Amino acid sequence: MNGYGLAEQYSGISNQRRGTKVMDSALIPNGVRRCSLDKFLVALAVVGAVLLWGVYAMLLCWFKGLNQTNMNDNYGFALWIWADLAVIALGGGAFFTGFLKYIIAKDELKNIINYAVLIGFICYSSALLILAIDIGQPLRGWFIFWHANVHSMLTEVAFCLSCYFMVLTIEYIPLILENRQIDRVPFFHHLSHNMHSTMAVFAATGAFLSFFHQGSLGGVAGVLFGRPFAYREGLFIWPWTFFLFTWSAAAYGPCFTLMVTRITEAISGKKLVKDNVVELLAKISGWMMTTYIIAKIIDTFYWANVTAPSKGFNLIDFYSNNGFYGIWILVLEIVLGGIVPAAILITDKGRKSPIARNTAFVLAVIGVSVNRWVMVLQVMAVPIMTFDTWALYFPSWQEVATTILPVAYGIMLIMISYRYLPIFPQEAELNPAD
Amino acid sequence: MKIDRRSFLSLGVGVAAGTALSPLPWKLTDDLSIWTQNWPWTPVPEIGESSFVNSVCTLCPGGCGISVRKVEDRGVKIEGMKGHPVNQGGICALGLSGLQLLYGPTRIKTPLKRVGKRGDGQWAKISWDEAISEITEKLDGLRTSGNSHTVAGIAGSRHGTVSQLFSRFLTAFGSPNFFHTPSIADTYQLALQHMNGVSAAPGFDLENADFILSFGCGLLEGWGSPVRMFKANTGWKKAKARVIQIESRLSRTAAKSDRWIAIIPGSEAALALGVAHVLIKEMLYNKDFVDNYANGFESFVTDNGEIKKGFKQTVLEEYSPETVSRVTGIDPSAIILLAREFANAKAPLALCGKGQGKVPGSLNEAMSVHALNALVGSINRKGGVFPIPAMEVQGWAEVGMDTITSAGMNQPRIDGTPPNSLGYINQLPSAILSGKGYPLNVLFVLESNPLYTMADSKTVKDAFDKIPFVVSLSSFMDETAQYADIVMPNHIYLERLEDAPTPMGYNKSIISLSKPVFKPRLNTKHAGDTLILLAKGLGGGVAEAFPWKNFEACFEQAMGDKMKTLKKNGFWVDSDAVLPDWESTFNTPSGKFQFAPVEFSPGFAPIKIEGDSTFQLLLIPYETMRLSCGYIANPPFLTKTVEDTILKQNDCFIEINPKTAQSNQLSEGDVVVLQTPRGQARVRVHLEEGIMPDMVALPRGLGHTAHDGYIANKGINVNHLIGPVQDPVSGMDAAWGIRAKLSKA
Amino acid sequence: MKQEHGGVVTQKYGMVVDLDLCTGCGSCMVACMAENNVPFREDETDKLKSITWMRVYKLTNGKHYPETDICYLPRPCQHCEGSHGHSPCVSVCPATATDYDNQTGIVSQIYTRCFGCRYCMGACPYHARYFNWYDPIWPEGMERYLNPNVSPRMRGVVEKCSFCFHRYQAAKDKAHLDGQKEIDEDAYQTACTQACPAGAITFGDLDNPNHAVHELKKQPDTFRLLEKLGTNTKVYYVSSREWVRRAGDNYLKTEGLKKAVL
Ligand SMILES: Nc1nc2c(c(=O)[nH]1)N[C@H]1C(S)=C(S)[C@@H](COP(=O)(O)OP(=O)(O)OC[C@H]3O[C@@H](n4cnc5c(=O)[nH]c(N)nc54)[C@H](O)[C@@H]3O)O[C@H]1N2
Ligand SMILES: Nc1nc2c(c(=O)[nH]1)N[C@H]1C(S)=C(S)[C@@H](COP(=O)(O)OP(=O)(O)OC[C@H]3O[C@@H](n4cnc5c(=O)[nH]c(N)nc54)[C@H](O)[C@@H]3O)O[C@H]1N2
Ligand code: SF4
Ligand code: SF4
Ligand code: SF4
Ligand code: SF4
Ligand code: SF4
Repeated sequence: MNGYGLAEQYSGISNQRRGTKVMDSALIPNGVRRCSLDKFLVALAVVGAVLLWGVYAMLLCWFKGLNQTNMNDNYGFALWIWADLAVIALGGGAFFTGFLKYIIAKDELKNIINYAVLIGFICYSSALLILAIDIGQPLRGWFIFWHANVHSMLTEVAFCLSCYFMVLTIEYIPLILENRQIDRVPFFHHLSHNMHSTMAVFAATGAFLSFFHQGSLGGVAGVLFGRPFAYREGLFIWPWTFFLFTWSAAAYGPCFTLMVTRITEAISGKKLVKDNVVELLAKISGWMMTTYIIAKIIDTFYWANVTAPSKGFNLIDFYSNNGFYGIWILVLEIVLGGIVPAAILITDKGRKSPIARNTAFVLAVIGVSVNRWVMVLQVMAVPIMTFDTWALYFPSWQEVATTILPVAYGIMLIMISYRYLPIFPQEAELNPAD
Repeated sequence: MKIDRRSFLSLGVGVAAGTALSPLPWKLTDDLSIWTQNWPWTPVPEIGESSFVNSVCTLCPGGCGISVRKVEDRGVKIEGMKGHPVNQGGICALGLSGLQLLYGPTRIKTPLKRVGKRGDGQWAKISWDEAISEITEKLDGLRTSGNSHTVAGIAGSRHGTVSQLFSRFLTAFGSPNFFHTPSIADTYQLALQHMNGVSAAPGFDLENADFILSFGCGLLEGWGSPVRMFKANTGWKKAKARVIQIESRLSRTAAKSDRWIAIIPGSEAALALGVAHVLIKEMLYNKDFVDNYANGFESFVTDNGEIKKGFKQTVLEEYSPETVSRVTGIDPSAIILLAREFANAKAPLALCGKGQGKVPGSLNEAMSVHALNALVGSINRKGGVFPIPAMEVQGWAEVGMDTITSAGMNQPRIDGTPPNSLGYINQLPSAILSGKGYPLNVLFVLESNPLYTMADSKTVKDAFDKIPFVVSLSSFMDETAQYADIVMPNHIYLERLEDAPTPMGYNKSIISLSKPVFKPRLNTKHAGDTLILLAKGLGGGVAEAFPWKNFEACFEQAMGDKMKTLKKNGFWVDSDAVLPDWESTFNTPSGKFQFAPVEFSPGFAPIKIEGDSTFQLLLIPYETMRLSCGYIANPPFLTKTVEDTILKQNDCFIEINPKTAQSNQLSEGDVVVLQTPRGQARVRVHLEEGIMPDMVALPRGLGHTAHDGYIANKGINVNHLIGPVQDPVSGMDAAWGIRAKLSKA
Repeated sequence: MKQEHGGVVTQKYGMVVDLDLCTGCGSCMVACMAENNVPFREDETDKLKSITWMRVYKLTNGKHYPETDICYLPRPCQHCEGSHGHSPCVSVCPATATDYDNQTGIVSQIYTRCFGCRYCMGACPYHARYFNWYDPIWPEGMERYLNPNVSPRMRGVVEKCSFCFHRYQAAKDKAHLDGQKEIDEDAYQTACTQACPAGAITFGDLDNPNHAVHELKKQPDTFRLLEKLGTNTKVYYVSSREWVRRAGDNYLKTEGLKKAVL
């Protein structure tokens, strides 16, 4: 337990240890300690201020239009869509952990599944919010369902994403119902119980949906046969990126769950999940990553040597003659963000060393984020017509603010959930009251 | 309360169904999206009966027939008129933008009187009666005090009924000071006067020429009648005719030509004479024409006994390819090859007038080029050049000369040019500022914008400051209108009746009818009617010279028997004048073409441009079809087509060769100060391989300070940086550039 | 050959643009703006936010003075057919706001349906699609010139060249009223074609042997933009200059210019 006192003075979360009784203690789960309400509210206010800044930017975008961004006709997709794809990949921990727990029956994972679901819920709700800001006509957003074009990957994304978000909500609700006060109401207690017992069905549905929409997000770029940088051949109607995205979300998502868990532990100064659970998930993630990165390398080779040349491009054309995108980005994605963390996590030694393990988590998160970045932004930047030029873009503050908005929202939701809900089943055991 | 799985599920279904069944959320969602499809601030054009009205575009002197599409009384589109002989259905980007001028915010809505400081844009709206009486009072005072000659007028053109009426107004009033915006057409007219002995415009039978030697003409940048030139160019391509472009910059014309020969600017006349040298030396010239229809080829003795060198001797002695090569920077072998190709073509034709021909240019150059056409016999033949006599107004009575009128008309012109000459507006500012001669009391400006279009804008403005009363008859709040004391807004071209005379270089006499397509939308008046009202207000002899009820009556009288055809077809073409006979072609003492007019021979006296050796670069202005650079300012659509390597936000770019840029340590996009002897400006750098090293080029047509937010404050007006240079022979402006230097901003 | 759809003759409208004739004058751009109610703003110099359904590109041969050469290339929407109407942009639009019309070969755009996701823009390799970043506002009075046959677009939606589809509709209606089964070549011409003072653009039914484009597209110097991508465009270009033809597509260093494929 030692070594988990980091940032204690900021979080103050553990000051119940000193015997102070906090004002909202009736709401706090049994057997765990939380910081004083004042501290909690101050911290909440700080994050809330950031959130408000984001909300202000969001309102600007809604009322004044997307001219508030630095996007343009060459950069139709930019920072936001990257953020969208990235959070969904990172939120992949939810469906994959759920899949492992409920379908493969890795029962130890019940100790982290709640947090995985919460992180997933945050990621997906954020993604939906970003989409609602990103589209030029938010009030017509529902046309995507009403006038759906079944050939469009984005339609598939929209349907699966929304359905899966509903599933995540259903998975998150019983957790809320487990709050000490809510749970006292018999109705909610039973509701929660019933929901729990049907959870396997939802988890399975969620996993299925998720496999699809993660893939269709990959398909979004992969089907662009007018964009040789993104275009990939594939199976039936799906380009290889479809499978690569699903696979990478499954592989990298758990790393994000684990990274956030580790951060939460650092901030709360408490160990929340037992090492064997972490190591199990890390190991699975490591092996998934290993297989993914092999597939990704094969894909890259095929693309560089067959697909791109058939469209008149050499690999290096995509990485030269511009001020930003060099071959380094490919190395960063595949080697540093793929091979290295995979290698760490598949070895016993790597997994057992907290430093190595945590480094691997961070590298993995960077790796998958870079992948999503190139599949959105570099796709837009590469000139296709010979008389075209590279289009580089820099986000406006409104874009940055609205991108940070969901982060702030996520932190707030984690703070509140952590404080009032029994997210970590092992917390009480790992942090016994005096 | 016990909840089992069944009740849990039915609850879930119930809630879902209940929400779905309630119409409210669905209705609201739908309504909101419908609202986004009908935002009240996004206009919905009214539908209605659609019709087409034919007229003629007068936004430039091109004289293209147009078909205006109307929906009820709204104009919704301007298209080229099918079957119009000038443009054959085609139309340029400016012509297409005309409705933006008709409906745009730069239009002047009502007569205005200045209330604030001059140029500050503070106006009081006045009625037409007030405007007319205010001006006639002032004019009357000048007239009765014997100062009628201190009134001057600047017109956009010297052709067309309205201009002639304007000129007539000044004459009847008693002022010799009628000015017009000059162009290469004036220089050509002088060349024809000297060499053909006729007062006529040149008609170039471009459509039938098969080898076009262009001395820097912007054949595809608006030279002559722009759309006609495009059509001709397409004809050349299809007929495999060849175009050689002699120019220091890879203009669109140069890019489309069969060969681009870069030349040191200002040395075009030397090249023409170098080509002549080869033609003569190699006996490639047309002997029939030279022997039978020309004079002054061989040396001759003049009436007073001097021996005058003939064209042949001059050219053979002074313009060998080697000599010419040194001035022009073109290889001797290239000159020889060019001459042979020119001579061997079936219908070769040489042309001059840089860019759009906005600057009259060197008379020597025009004569040298004209001589070249004569050498190959391309005068008065198919595919060649022939004179198009100016068309006189038919039915107007002579202006009666009362004593004041004759006294005024006997005063010298303020610019010092002979009476009844074309008048040289380039000499007007210096004449005013020099203080010699008499001061100007009133200036009328009609369909021209000298404060923007004249070289050396600052001096022009200083000169304007010396004129106490300026009256603008512009339709637009342009720089000159902005600087006026009274504005009497004209109808815009789509609202008024007038004639579009033969455009420059067109090979037939033609008049096209511009007629009101729309009822005047604002409180404007036809400038012709304004002039008639002013004349009537002045009474006496002036009023007598303007006996018409209104401009329409005056116009119909002017058009005479052509009016019927004009009304029927929209244009009148002089079909007899396709190839004039020799007598009307040459009206010289000898009855022949004059290679060496008595006064002087064509020669190469380089036009010395301004600037000493501290200015290491040459600045040349250039023109493009995407920028309107005359009286008409660039409408928003046209500006939208301007590339971002020419204009970016408010900055405009100089074109510079990468080598020159490198030696000045400049790279793409750098902000620099461009300095000339006349002024300096902040510009940005655009590297362009298609320009001769040690030169920089700036477009004409940017840098307006008046008009509206869609036109003003975009780039700089090149006229701030260049000054006029007087042609030693003609006296007109012949500046083709100025020396310049760059420093980092 | 001609195809039948629902018992009625279908067309495949397209263009042949002669780059030897095109002078880069910009008439086509303005004709399009005027015909199709394209909005404008005070500053239109940010070309990545400036709506130009027709855009004339300036190509250079990359050689030093005085070997430099320039060519202008007008680029409307290429009305990609892809394979069987699977054009890059149509297939991706999630809301079916853009469509490949098998009747005419025209790729439509429905502004009231589009919700502004811009996926189609990302999909189009020709930058032929434009987003309304701003509310289209005409200075007071200027809205009078708006063409009632083309609806002005609202902020937040994508627009592009429609091959002046409203003119097709008018011609179709007229043909129907006149009892004609086919639309005459003259009866349906686009605004840019009509305006071009150089006569560089020819428009018509690529499949109809009576239309000029049918033969013009077979000239030996014909090429299409980015053919290797399989976009299967309906805008053909002609140039006698090899460097221009080569600029139409991407080639590996080792690759030669292939002959036009039809
Ligand atoms: N030549 C010919 N004529 C026919 C037929 C035929 O086979 N051939 N078939 C007949 C039959 S059976 C039918 S049903 C009709 C169909 O005739 P139309 O209704 O004309 O059908 P489409 O041409 O399929 O669609 C018209 C346009 O609507 C656009 N569109 C799609 N969704 C929307 C929307 O939500 N709003 C708006 N404003 N536009 C939208 C499409 O992109 C398309 O360009 O044609 C009849 N006429
Ligand atoms: N790609 C594409 N597909 C579409 C559409 C589209 O716009 N694009 N539109 C859809 C729509 S709205 C429709 S209604 C359908 C129409 O699709 P179909 O119903 O397939 O219509 P048609 O192509 O007209 O084919 C009808 C067949 O009936 C034959 N036929 C004609 N008269 C008679 C008769 O008297 N008796 C019999 N037995 N046969 C006859 C014709 O020769 C033809 O073979 O297409 C749909 N499919
Ligand atoms: S060339 Fe001149 S006259 Fe002809 S349409 Fe253009 S502006 Fe009008
Ligand atoms: S109008 Fe014709 S010549 Fe002018 S740019 Fe367009 S295609 Fe080229
Ligand atoms: S050019 Fe672009 S917008 Fe036009 S059909 Fe092709 S992909 Fe679609
Ligand atoms: S921006 Fe509009 S047209 Fe384009 S894909 Fe999205 S909804 Fe479809
Ligand atoms: S075809 Fe019509 S819509 Fe397309 S570029 Fe030409 S004028 Fe514009």
